[in-house]
Amino acid sequence: MPAISVERLSKVFHDKKRGEFRAVDSISFEAGRGEIFGLLGPNGAGKTTTLRLLATLLKPTSGTATLNGCDIVREPEKVRGSIGFLTGDMGLYARLTPREILQFFGAFHGMNGARLKSRVDEMIETFGISSFAGTRTDKLSTGMKQKTAIARTALHDPPILILDEPTSGLDVPTARTIETYILEQRAAGKCIVLSTHVMEEAEYLCDRIAVIGDGKLKMVGSMEELRAATGKHRLREIFLDLLDMK
Amino acid sequence: MRLPMIAAVYRKEMMDLLRDRRTLISMVAIPVLVMPLLMVVMTKVMSNVQERSEEESKTMAIAARVKTPAVLEAIRKAGYKMVDKSDLRAAVEQKEISVAVEETTGPKNILELNVIEDESNPASSFVAAKIRAALAALKEVRIRASLQRSGVPESVLSPFEVKQVNVAPARRMAGKIWGSILGYLILLMMFSGGMYPVIDMTAGEKERKTLEPFLSTPIGRGEIVAGKILAAITAIFTTAVLTLSSMVFSLKSFTTGQAAKELSVVPLDAGAVALIMLTVLPLAVFAASLMIAIAMFARSFKEGQSYLTPLILIVIFPAFLGGMPGLKLTTALYLIPIFNASQVIRTILMGEVTMLPFLVTLFANLVYAGIAAYIARTRFEDESVLFRT
Repeated sequence: MPAISVERLSKVFHDKKRGEFRAVDSISFEAGRGEIFGLLGPNGAGKTTTLRLLATLLKPTSGTATLNGCDIVREPEKVRGSIGFLTGDMGLYARLTPREILQFFGAFHGMNGARLKSRVDEMIETFGISSFAGTRTDKLSTGMKQKTAIARTALHDPPILILDEPTSGLDVPTARTIETYILEQRAAGKCIVLSTHVMEEAEYLCDRIAVIGDGKLKMVGSMEELRAATGKHRLREIFLDLLDMK
Repeated sequence: MRLPMIAAVYRKEMMDLLRDRRTLISMVAIPVLVMPLLMVVMTKVMSNVQERSEEESKTMAIAARVKTPAVLEAIRKAGYKMVDKSDLRAAVEQKEISVAVEETTGPKNILELNVIEDESNPASSFVAAKIRAALAALKEVRIRASLQRSGVPESVLSPFEVKQVNVAPARRMAGKIWGSILGYLILLMMFSGGMYPVIDMTAGEKERKTLEPFLSTPIGRGEIVAGKILAAITAIFTTAVLTLSSMVFSLKSFTTGQAAKELSVVPLDAGAVALIMLTVLPLAVFAASLMIAIAMFARSFKEGQSYLTPLILIVIFPAFLGGMPGLKLTTALYLIPIFNASQVIRTILMGEVTMLPFLVTLFANLVYAGIAAYIARTRFEDESVLFRT
């Protein structure tokens, strides 16, 4: 059974100004364990809405998805227990320290006592957070914040990681730390859904890539399959070709 | 609902709130510092106005167009410099003199003495009061002299005396005055004190984009709302208790005159405090839930403020009305939220609380609290509210 199975998933928003707006239009795909699944698309293509649907923050208008065997409509709390969701904005509590944030999110995932403490210590060690673990988050650099946000996402050791632009705005060494971690998680058998605008990163990390445009899935495949279908070599060219942007 | 989850949300909210300067100012600094400061400043300003009026009155002259020598003598004895003015009213209006006295003849040839003053000018009022007192004393002397000449005893002026016998004990008298102040303030503070913390944990979370990761954990929406309501109640109670303590201290310490005498007894014992707490607890849940439900609609802290400020203005009216003495209430009126609690607090402070209104108030506010908490929970499940941009 795939870690993620998406079936004809759609989301329609009703807006007073724009009227009915189909943000995600009947998309279907699967992602397996030990796989990094890339989600590419221009701004407003429906990537974030898709990720929010998978994280059960939004309810689909039609269609469904199962994550780790749990249905996003019928079992949203079980789904949330199986995923780690990194939002594009990081969303860290500015007045708390990284250690406090990890402790609280551990508690929200039902962890407590010695298990929570050792897991928080482990995350702090893994992401090199020790030197600023006791500093208020609003005093940290973007890189430090993103390390904290990833540590929070992975804290409860979920089988599925949903990462929305995890290296956005980071310097090369910090981005490398996060990329290395993502690869380690793949090796550990995790399923990782990765949304990014960085083509080089997607090409380097992803086993398969889905290109989304106007809420529709244009194509899903490995780099070789995308190259064969479009006749282009570089991902940037493939991406523009699939979206009819020359 | 899992208690450890609610406790975790509560701890997170409290830690976050206690590190927010804005919340600390509204929750602690304003109640503790502003109230005594306000009382000190008000007392000082009032005493300065009084002193300044006295000083100013000494430097200003008065005018008198009076023919009767005894009257003129009485005015002179008041000790003010006297000048001549052709238009007495204009001279007072233009502050050339503080007061003018004009002698006229009324119907039936009765002597009339018009004390012309400018009541908007404290110095003029101060001098006018002194002149009136001097003329009243002269009138008294003349009446007594007339009576003596006619051989009528002075007792004819006062055939009997009217005395007030108040059976209300000191506690009830204190309850009457404290009840109209405290009941109103407690309720007002519950809403205004909870405003900043509630906006911070709802619209503030949305603005800072921290809500999305929070909602993507397996914690239930009901558990999140329960934790947030508990944190808001803590903030509400802290503000209310600090404001009340500060208010009682300030009124007792800085009030002067008759008000100071009436406020000297604070009708609060352990029983009254427990009953007041029992009265306001469901209302605190109601206030917290209602404010959370409303503030969740806002996209930013600023927008949250503009949503909740009118609510506080709405609360002022029933809270104030409920604290007014002399209201005749039916049981049905105790179903009106805020008004009912204000009324019950007043009767508790006067030592006159009865079982039926107390229970009706408690039950009605519990129902309102439940409804408001339910609405707050539905806001956390409504994606158009959660992701409103």
